[in-house]
Amino acid sequence: MTYFFQLVLSGVVVGSIYALSALGFVLIYKSSRVLNIAHGQLIATGAFIAYALTVWVGIPIYLSFFISMVLTFFLTMSVERIFLRRLIGEPIISVIMVTIGLMSILDGLIYLTPFGSENFSFPRFLPKEPISMAGVSISWTQLVGVIITFAMIGAFSWFFKKSTVGISMRAVSDDQLASMSIGISVPRVFGLAWATAGLSAAAAGGIIGNITGLNFDTLHAFGITVFPVVILGGLDSILGAVVAGIIMGLIQQFASGYLDGNWGLNGTGTVLPYIILLIILLFKPHGLFGIHEIERV
Amino acid sequence: MSANRWLATGNYFTTYKEEQRIFLTHTDRLIFSFFLVCVFVWPLVFETNNKSMLVVDNILIAMIAVLGLNLVTGFAGLISIGHAAFVGVGAYTVASVSRVMGDDYILLTHAWPAMILASGLVGAVFGAMVGLPAFRLKHLYLAIATLSFQMIFQWTINFMEFFNQGQTIFVGRIFWLNGEVGRNEHYIFWYYVILIILVLLGFMVRNLLRTRFGRCLIAVRDNDRAADAMGMHPGLTKVYAFGLAGFFAGIAGALHAYLYRGVGIESFTLHESITYLAMAIVGGLGTLNGSFWGPAAIKMLELQVEKIAEHAGDMMPASMNLATALRPLTFGLVIVLFLMFEPRGIANWWRIIRSYFKLWPFRY
Amino acid sequence: MRNHKMMFVPILMSFIAVLFFAANLQAGEVYKLALSLAITGPTSDAGNPYAKGVEDYFRFVNDTKMLGDDRIECTIRDDQYKTDVTKRNFEDFLDQGIVLYLNYSTGSTMGLKRDFEEEKIAVIPASFHAGNLVDSNYIFLPIASYSEQTIGLAEYVANNHKGDKPKVALFVHPSAFGRGPVEDVEKAAKAGLNIEVVEVVEHGQDLDNTAMLKRLKSKGVQYVISQTVQSPVATMLKDAARLGYTAKTFGEAGKITFMGAHYTGGNDLIALAGAAAENFFWTTSYKLTSEKSAGADAQLALAARYGRDEKAANSHNYTNGIMVAQVATEVIKRVKKQGLKVNRKTLYDELNQMNGAKAFQPDTTVGPVTYSKTDHAGVDTLQLYRVDGGVFRSVGTPFLCEYIKKI
Repeated sequence: MTYFFQLVLSGVVVGSIYALSALGFVLIYKSSRVLNIAHGQLIATGAFIAYALTVWVGIPIYLSFFISMVLTFFLTMSVERIFLRRLIGEPIISVIMVTIGLMSILDGLIYLTPFGSENFSFPRFLPKEPISMAGVSISWTQLVGVIITFAMIGAFSWFFKKSTVGISMRAVSDDQLASMSIGISVPRVFGLAWATAGLSAAAAGGIIGNITGLNFDTLHAFGITVFPVVILGGLDSILGAVVAGIIMGLIQQFASGYLDGNWGLNGTGTVLPYIILLIILLFKPHGLFGIHEIERV
Repeated sequence: MSANRWLATGNYFTTYKEEQRIFLTHTDRLIFSFFLVCVFVWPLVFETNNKSMLVVDNILIAMIAVLGLNLVTGFAGLISIGHAAFVGVGAYTVASVSRVMGDDYILLTHAWPAMILASGLVGAVFGAMVGLPAFRLKHLYLAIATLSFQMIFQWTINFMEFFNQGQTIFVGRIFWLNGEVGRNEHYIFWYYVILIILVLLGFMVRNLLRTRFGRCLIAVRDNDRAADAMGMHPGLTKVYAFGLAGFFAGIAGALHAYLYRGVGIESFTLHESITYLAMAIVGGLGTLNGSFWGPAAIKMLELQVEKIAEHAGDMMPASMNLATALRPLTFGLVIVLFLMFEPRGIANWWRIIRSYFKLWPFRY
Repeated sequence: MRNHKMMFVPILMSFIAVLFFAANLQAGEVYKLALSLAITGPTSDAGNPYAKGVEDYFRFVNDTKMLGDDRIECTIRDDQYKTDVTKRNFEDFLDQGIVLYLNYSTGSTMGLKRDFEEEKIAVIPASFHAGNLVDSNYIFLPIASYSEQTIGLAEYVANNHKGDKPKVALFVHPSAFGRGPVEDVEKAAKAGLNIEVVEVVEHGQDLDNTAMLKRLKSKGVQYVISQTVQSPVATMLKDAARLGYTAKTFGEAGKITFMGAHYTGGNDLIALAGAAAENFFWTTSYKLTSEKSAGADAQLALAARYGRDEKAANSHNYTNGIMVAQVATEVIKRVKKQGLKVNRKTLYDELNQMNGAKAFQPDTTVGPVTYSKTDHAGVDTLQLYRVDGGVFRSVGTPFLCEYIKKI
């Protein structure tokens, strides 16, 4: 039974990290209907900036996480300004391909730095001992990760629900023409959406980097790993990202906990999310919480 | 129609039939025939080496795959991020036979044209299956469904002992009329095989677009609800499109298996799928000749960058990183720049050049 | 200041040009070698220092005139871990007329096996996969295969464990590279090796191994032998350290001792896992720079000579690259000494004779390189290392894997 609870706890922890990584997709998609394939690279960039600031510059680690988030915020904002602003109104495949191109460019830029081919790990700044209770345990890194995740998701939900800027972002996602006519600057909203996505990517990068160590391959693979999460939750729902993240975390943990090693199966945790995704897509094409749009000719 | 079928400078069509001709003027046909002859004759005239023939063969295979991708993404407007997996299905059809029957089984070595066709059909079946969600899904969600197929395909190959867990499964040397095709003539031999298949498939696509189904594809891309209202079945059309794309990909996969004389998972990963998409875009989505320009351009670019990177590496040995960073950087930049400044791809340049000659001495 | 820099560039350029001409003017033969490996893409963290090792050593050979007036020209090309690209590179190298080929990944070595046979060219890959040697005559592994390493670790467990039959779990990469040795370890256990393989775990992209570790613990597993790359091992080690499962000494009762084969260890592991890497046991055939030895000094001097950073200089993959280049140079030297022409056939024959009195002892490995018609694994001796205070320290003396011959 303890084993079961441990799986649940690990699933929730992993799931909330997925949710934070997925948040970046949702933020961009929500306002500009773009799927950013380069998100994994942004996660890696955020982690690397934080490391460089902490270890090479010598800034305290909390502060450098914060600065890394701010820097990534401006980085993605300028990415949007340079590459994506021109493509407003182009067919969706062009925009997806631009993000794919962006992915390659970021890859190239990261290969220019030592991070491209070497491994690093963050200095430890949290207590080593895990928090254990009734046989299940969670590390401080994971706990802090979960707290940050929920804090950020809470903040973004409030932002979209209550703040003026957030409401204008929602308006843009609903109808670009109408929102322009009431004086919302659509390009600014897009820029802001990308910037906030960058911010969340940097946060996710910091957390994942602390758990796995800084290896470029591992980090940028997260961009792909969280696709099923994003789709399952519905591309435009923050709540969906959280719920789907935790569901996927649980599925993975249970798959590797109960399926692997039995019946000659192995590595099911990697593929099961995609199988479940395909099935869910057949029954609920817009994910669990996605908005079903009514199209007219 | 002007009386002169050699030098038409504008559209003088009086019937639909005239508009749909494959070659608009006799000049077009003549130039094309001349080009075909050149393509068939040049390896006999110039001295070739194995490496450059391998590169050329590889480009031709990519052209076949991109022809299929262009059908589904360019003409039907459905984004497929799993095209390499379909190519893989074709390759692994050949590999399965090799695995079950042994790599020099007569079916593989003598009846290889049949094997290639069979691989295409298997690819078509898988394509149609993955296309099934198209009945309900659209846009990004459909793209993600193809991505899922890509991931599941990779996992299956990597996991199953039958597929040698993604490691190379060998395919024996094939036989032709005059005996076994040896190492020295291998690449030239496959050059001709692939070329003939490519020309056939190229004409097939050209003709396909003249049919009711071809027009359906474009109608569904432009507005599937309107198409529905006009009596077409968008869902079925999409599934057909996926099936056809799978067929092309399957054939490309089988050719890949024979050319490399082995099948391994590395050639059918997500990264390859993305490269195929990039080829289709750089060439020009929704155009027939774009499917030829794109693969050639991307593969040539890769080779050139490799050369430059090597020189850069020689110049600055201590900082190898610059050399290795060049490839993803240029690949990314080319995609982004094309999308930003020439979204219609190289095919558009071709169109401009053609009309320049057509309209000369008047300005374009 | 600015002017100085402006001046500097043309001077440097002309200097390079002069050097270039000088090099061309030299008499003597040029032996063409080639290496295709993953400098970008998967496993580039290993491929990068490996390439540097090969490059630096051949430059060293040419600069110090180790082969007299003759020179070695080794083209190094990136294949991004893709067999297609490796094949293209290989065909290109053949057109250039190489006499010996250095390869890298398991996938491409297996995939090009038949081409090596047909071309009759000796190949030294960086992959130590035992499957490379099946149905092939021309592939020479630099050191003991992964199977040999893994079984060697299992033997060490069997010999040094106190108490009942030790329970072992294998933690492997989800590919043929990881799965290769699994079967061999199980065969060895059947052949009488005193261990019990409780579970084989294939890892994915895991963020949390708590459940897996708890499961192994509840099954009474005391040793985990990993055959994968560093990153997943680091995640597992961190989780184990957090749970307090890591053994402080070898085989500590009630704890788990973590061990791994060549590509799981090295400074990259310590960089990734930090303090959690303490007491990780690792086996390889290379000497490390964390231990003082003639080979380590020579390696550091070589890195300093060609301006490599500290990280590359101390990487065991840099050693790996140097060693492969040393073997290649040695064969060429031996063929030359006999007054034979250096070509594919003579090099291949000479490699096959590298045993007995003619065994080659490079300063970078813990044992001699021996090849024969039947034995294509180079250095057979293995050295166990243990992480102690953030560096790898050797444990005991080099040993031989016994059971590899019995299976």
